[in-house]
Amino acid sequence: MSDIQEAMRSRAKELLESGEVNAVIGWEAGRFENQTTPLITSQAAKTQRLVFNEYCVNNLGKYPRDLTAKGKVAIFARGCESRAIIRLLSDEVIKRENVYIIGIGCPGMRDRTTGELLKKCAECRHGDPVIYDEMLGEPQAKPATQERFAEIQKIEALPRAEREAYFTNAFSKCIRCYACRNVCPCCTCRQCFVDQRREGWLGKQNNIAENRFYGLTRVMHVGDRCIECGECERVCPMDLPLMSLNRKVIYDINNLFGEYETALSLDEPPSALTTYKVDDVEEFM
Amino acid sequence: MSRIGVFICYCGSNIAGTVDVEKVAEVARTLPNVVHAETNKYTCSDPGQAGVKAAIEKYNIDRVVMGTCSPRMHELTWRKLLADTPVNPYMLEVANLREQCSWVHKDKEVGTAKAIDLIKMAVAKVDKLSPLKSTQIPVTKRALVVGGGIAGMQAALDIADAGYQVTVVERETSLGGKMVMLDKTFPTMDCSACICTPKMSEVGSHPNITVKSYAEVESVEGYVGNFDVTIREKAKYIDYNLCTGCGACTTKCPTKVINNFEQGMSARPAIYKMFAQAVPAKPVIDAEHCRKIQENKCGACAKICPTGAIHYDDEDKVTTERYGAIVLTTGYQLIDWKPLYPEYGGGKYPDVITGLQFERLVNASGPTEGHILRPSDGKEPKNVVIIKCVGSRDPHKGVAYCSRACCMYGAKHAHQFLDKVPDGRCFVFYMDVRTPGKGYDEFYMNTLQDGAQYLRGRVSKIYKEGDRLVCLGEDTLTSAQIRIEADMVVLETAMVPAEGVDKLGSMLGVTRDKDLWLTEAHAKLRPVETNTAGVFLAGVAQGPKDIPDTVCQAGAAASKVIGLLNHDHLESNPQISRVNEALCQGDGACVNICPYHAITLVQKQFRENSQKITRTVASVNPGLCQGCGACTVTCRAGAMDLLGYTNESLMREVDALCQW
Ligand SMILES: Cc1cc2nc3c(=O)[nH]c(=O)nc-3n(C[C@H](O)[C@H](O)[C@H](O)COP(=O)(O)OP(=O)(O)OC[C@H]3O[C@@H](n4cnc5c(N)ncnc54)[C@H](O)[C@@H]3O)c2cc1C
Ligand code: SF4
Ligand code: SF4
Repeated sequence: MSDIQEAMRSRAKELLESGEVNAVIGWEAGRFENQTTPLITSQAAKTQRLVFNEYCVNNLGKYPRDLTAKGKVAIFARGCESRAIIRLLSDEVIKRENVYIIGIGCPGMRDRTTGELLKKCAECRHGDPVIYDEMLGEPQAKPATQERFAEIQKIEALPRAEREAYFTNAFSKCIRCYACRNVCPCCTCRQCFVDQRREGWLGKQNNIAENRFYGLTRVMHVGDRCIECGECERVCPMDLPLMSLNRKVIYDINNLFGEYETALSLDEPPSALTTYKVDDVEEFM
Repeated sequence: MSRIGVFICYCGSNIAGTVDVEKVAEVARTLPNVVHAETNKYTCSDPGQAGVKAAIEKYNIDRVVMGTCSPRMHELTWRKLLADTPVNPYMLEVANLREQCSWVHKDKEVGTAKAIDLIKMAVAKVDKLSPLKSTQIPVTKRALVVGGGIAGMQAALDIADAGYQVTVVERETSLGGKMVMLDKTFPTMDCSACICTPKMSEVGSHPNITVKSYAEVESVEGYVGNFDVTIREKAKYIDYNLCTGCGACTTKCPTKVINNFEQGMSARPAIYKMFAQAVPAKPVIDAEHCRKIQENKCGACAKICPTGAIHYDDEDKVTTERYGAIVLTTGYQLIDWKPLYPEYGGGKYPDVITGLQFERLVNASGPTEGHILRPSDGKEPKNVVIIKCVGSRDPHKGVAYCSRACCMYGAKHAHQFLDKVPDGRCFVFYMDVRTPGKGYDEFYMNTLQDGAQYLRGRVSKIYKEGDRLVCLGEDTLTSAQIRIEADMVVLETAMVPAEGVDKLGSMLGVTRDKDLWLTEAHAKLRPVETNTAGVFLAGVAQGPKDIPDTVCQAGAAASKVIGLLNHDHLESNPQISRVNEALCQGDGACVNICPYHAITLVQKQFRENSQKITRTVASVNPGLCQGCGACTVTCRAGAMDLLGYTNESLMREVDALCQW
């Protein structure tokens, strides 16, 4: 990893100095031990602060959204970043010519306090970048150690009352900080539905009904576009099991429309939930 | 502040029977912004409507809730009523107190409580509506008919006779479709050519009709009243202005090509007319097989042509023209039974033929000049087996539906065979005999009288023994195993949609059902319309049927077209989608979901944060949008709003329902 870190610093420096890109997105050491934080810089000198270690837990993939208006940005991308970038590209949030993607293979990241592999990384099926302009180091081909829908099948097997309790319980904790929305590479609306006052989709009260409505609406909006990076669940300060909601939708899409995984390449067909076909399955009707 | 009027109808006892109408009105008077609520025995009657108008004037009402029957029934009535008042016709909400309330409840208390909820919701919604205005769309007074079978010809003639210009696009080199291939037609047994070819020449020579043969629709843009249609006419290699149709060329061509019109039972030259009475009555060169065009050899036809009409360097002609209405009459083809039924030989026995081949065999102008001779050795068959429902009503191998004409033409084939081969025997295997239709059952009975033997069951296997075909099957009425040595077997195979109709349908936003038949807008009430305004259907393209039904439908479609073309302008439906460009991020989710291809992405300049920027946003074509609302639920950002059903008004409706 230290080789990669060196390579990152020198490539970032070159790219900024040559003027090829306007900014670089990576990680730097944080204030605490075993902690990193995103680094966004336009100064070649600052590239020496870039780090890459087993604690680079942030998915950087959403940052280009706010940066490409001023010019091209370079981003270090593992599987999750690369898929987030595909998400932004196919949602027309950014343009391909405005990102320079430097791929890095990912062995999986660890929890700062326990040293254990992060849950999202254990579940991750694509550690290596699926799109890049150049690659630093070798792909890692890390296997997913967790079955994709195991959790869903477990919840679905519960009796109805317990299932309801599971979600009621989860949403009773939500403080509606919207961290999950803010971190999500799919959540790029110009104005989120929760902020649309005129329609008033969602009440401002913090209660289980409104919280659940927020959670369920968000999961449907993210729906067929979720890249399963697990960031929402990681950043949730109240530890809501958000990925079980996301994966439930993905699980249903898989069952209704066939094998489905999004944001693996740029030329994907339009996704299942936003196309209209006369012979669409309508088992729910 | 809005001024809402609520009008609640007794509908005789239809609503009042299970809803306390007076109580509902009483509650309505207490709802926010309601300035007046009244009841009426029959609101839709003349005095009822006059009462509504009077109240609107008296209370200065600016929007109304009608607590009546379903909007399907009377929404238009109320809109027309409002058009006579200062109230905008779209400032209206119908609360369905009959079909969805009084008719489904028995308990008056329950019915009343629900009616109150429905009125509350309607009041909340109408409060948030804005006036809408329709715009005028000009109508191009010409029609396009796609497919020149009997359906297309009949529709074209009817429209043309009403005085409008019609273009008929036919993919083959001649008009006529399947009907002109048939020998005689049930139930009257008039000669098909005798009734079909006069229609063809009438179409060909009608001053209001242009026939584009050997042509297909390449693309369609625009909307009702104004379809811009691009048509590709394949190169014919013959200048039809010079050609007199003398036919000298066709006698000199040395090439032999399988004759599809004769169902593969004879050969034709590379320069050919589809059949003697073809319209247009001029030949074309089949470029794929012409030696001159392929290898620059031969050229015999150009040498013999007395008018010098042949040009080997002819090219496809692509034209774009505007039409006000389109009729789709693309008909059918027979299912390719060969890969589906290996037990019938899968095509390896030449004497197992299809119904259309049989039509050509009995036809006096067919390959055998009307003598029923079997394809393998030209001998007259004495024992003929007819198998119905081959591919039809067989979801495992073929299609699930009934092809509707086969029971009748199966009987026809039996009759024709017994008529031509008096010492022959004919066995008909059937699942059911379906003969509803004027004179149809009598026709079937006559066939039985002729001596046709009907056996209820399917043939399980056909194999060859000597020069005969052994058919094994079961008579399910007697449970007897049947073994028939036949000289020839006729398969009455399923009708399936014409090739390419899927593409045509998606070009026009006309939906196809699971079997790819084009779907009508409503199975009962709008049988010749499609979901795309200005596009109509007729004939087998909509689903299997026989000639009488096809002609009826063609006339119906023509009358709809005439009704449309009669207008100089159409009123657009103002209840369409609108893009809130501030919210639209341009990801195009709506573009993919819109069944009518009404949405495109456009680049637009905006001033944002005191800067000029260019962004991609969605744009709705008001002529194409049918107001289905699919985009509004697809747009996560809520940037799509359906006028008349805005997100805001629907949310207020939900709120009204959820308040205790
Ligand atoms: C063996 C047999 C016997 C029958 N006998 C009888 C009978 O005795 N009596 C009776 O009432 N009915 C009979 N029928 C049914 C009859 O054939 C149909 O009802 C009738 O032909 C339907 O006419 P149509 O115009 O809808 O379709 P078609 O005859 O199929 O005409 C469709 C036309 O559209 C053209 N076309 C297709 N796609 C395109 C395209 N994309 N662009 C341009 N052109 C296109 C085709 O080339 C064709 O000319 C019989 C059917 C069969 C199979
Ligand atoms: S919903 Fe969660 S897992 Fe899915 S893309 Fe957004 S942040 Fe990642
Ligand atoms: S409402 Fe939306 S999806 Fe429906 S036709 Fe109009 S633009 Fe298309």
